[in-house]
Amino acid sequence: MNWTRQHPGWAMFAAMIGLLLFLWGMALPLAAAPAPIGPAAEQFADGARITVGLTLIAGSAGVLIGVLAGLGKLSNFWPLRWFCDSYVWLIRGTPLLLQILFVWLALPTIMPAGVELSDFTCAAIALSLNIGAYNTECVRAGILAVPHGQVEAARALGLTPVQTFIDVILPQSMRVALPALANNLASLVKDSSLAYAISVVELTMVGYRVQAESYQPIPVFVTIAAIYLILTTAFTTLTAALEAQLDVGQKR
Amino acid sequence: MSSEAIPRPIIETRGIGKRFGSFHALKDVSATFHEGQVTAIVGPSGSGKSTFLRTLNRLEAHDSGEIVIDGIVLSDDIRNLNAIRREVGMVFQSFNLFSHLTILRNLTLAPMRVRRMARAAAEEKAMNLLERVGLKTQAGKYPVQLSGGQQQRVAIARALAMDPKVLLFDEPTSALDPEMVNEVLAVMRELAYSGITMLVVTHEMGFAREVADRVIFFDEGVILEDTTPESFFSNPGHERARAFLSQVRHGY
Repeated sequence: MNWTRQHPGWAMFAAMIGLLLFLWGMALPLAAAPAPIGPAAEQFADGARITVGLTLIAGSAGVLIGVLAGLGKLSNFWPLRWFCDSYVWLIRGTPLLLQILFVWLALPTIMPAGVELSDFTCAAIALSLNIGAYNTECVRAGILAVPHGQVEAARALGLTPVQTFIDVILPQSMRVALPALANNLASLVKDSSLAYAISVVELTMVGYRVQAESYQPIPVFVTIAAIYLILTTAFTTLTAALEAQLDVGQKR
Repeated sequence: MSSEAIPRPIIETRGIGKRFGSFHALKDVSATFHEGQVTAIVGPSGSGKSTFLRTLNRLEAHDSGEIVIDGIVLSDDIRNLNAIRREVGMVFQSFNLFSHLTILRNLTLAPMRVRRMARAAAEEKAMNLLERVGLKTQAGKYPVQLSGGQQQRVAIARALAMDPKVLLFDEPTSALDPEMVNEVLAVMRELAYSGITMLVVTHEMGFAREVADRVIFFDEGVILEDTTPESFFSNPGHERARAFLSQVRHGY
């Protein structure tokens, strides 16, 4: 991790390229493996792409939700504060699996006619709302950690409240929030496996199917675990590098 | 008053009152400050001098009375407030440089965002100001890499980058190690002779005596003395001022 700290730009680049190469190229070496892995190589690769897709979409949406709801919780306007409090309370107090099933089964019944939600979309929505609630608390902690003098300096220079937030508060709050956000992202990579319950063919679902056909759970699940490990390693390298980059000018 | 001509009033306060809960910080404070005037505001801690300074750009809202800055009545109207904050620069006791930005970006942020200056022009101006405070070589560093005295000189340059008509200093040397006080006072002295309007809350009696045109002595939320440095330091009219002076001199 020391190398990551010293060369954050390169680490981010390497993690991203590594992830892409892995996603598009993993079928080649896997295909050379003996049965039951070799014949199912393309399925593994497809499953990993779905898992990474869910993670990237829900991860990005979750950060956006976290920033908005984190701000909302600190708002002076009580209905907004109440709404954001209720959102976090509701999501943190119920199981993720229930949330996924709810979006999949209940949402279509209240959607206007003609709007079709795919299984993947339902999983992405549920995962975004879920990680967003946890991110909310991280972002709120980050915002509260920004010294008040920074806000006073920005306001005294004539920056508007919105400019103050975007140029000063948000970048500084991310230094505190990012380690916790990275933690949530690492959880998300694995939580996305619950999408199997609504028949999204992600990595864990692929593993389940392949072992059911081959009756060889050990090599299949070991392979699945290895792919998850490589994915989480890529994501944590990415966030560690981002952290190092935001850390500039920080007191210790 | 240093000149014979009648200068324009730039800050007028009439009957300012401010309470923090049961603490009466400012009681009916009225004073007029003219263009080009350098005023030292002195007094014991808790006397309301910093609060008074902070009401002038509404970092604290006053409860009663009226403040007029350059013809604009200070109120919660956001457009008036932004207009006033563009004209009134502030230097804080704890510098409050934006810790996530380089020295150069600290100076260019507000001119680019608030004055809509082009980056190249803002950077050229910033470099000139850094040269003026003797820190041109530090432009690429982060605030945490600078000494306290250097940070405060950057903070002064940052305020000057907005071309303010008035500069407010809130105990600018109180947080500095003793050996760094003089470098900051030197910059302030140079500024005072350049003709900018300055209000300086300070414990540096030597600076007040040498540089200020006018000394205001605060005690328990009221202005007890408002006179020239000569008469304040050699012949204070009020018993409280005499006691204050004998105490601060005790340290020399």
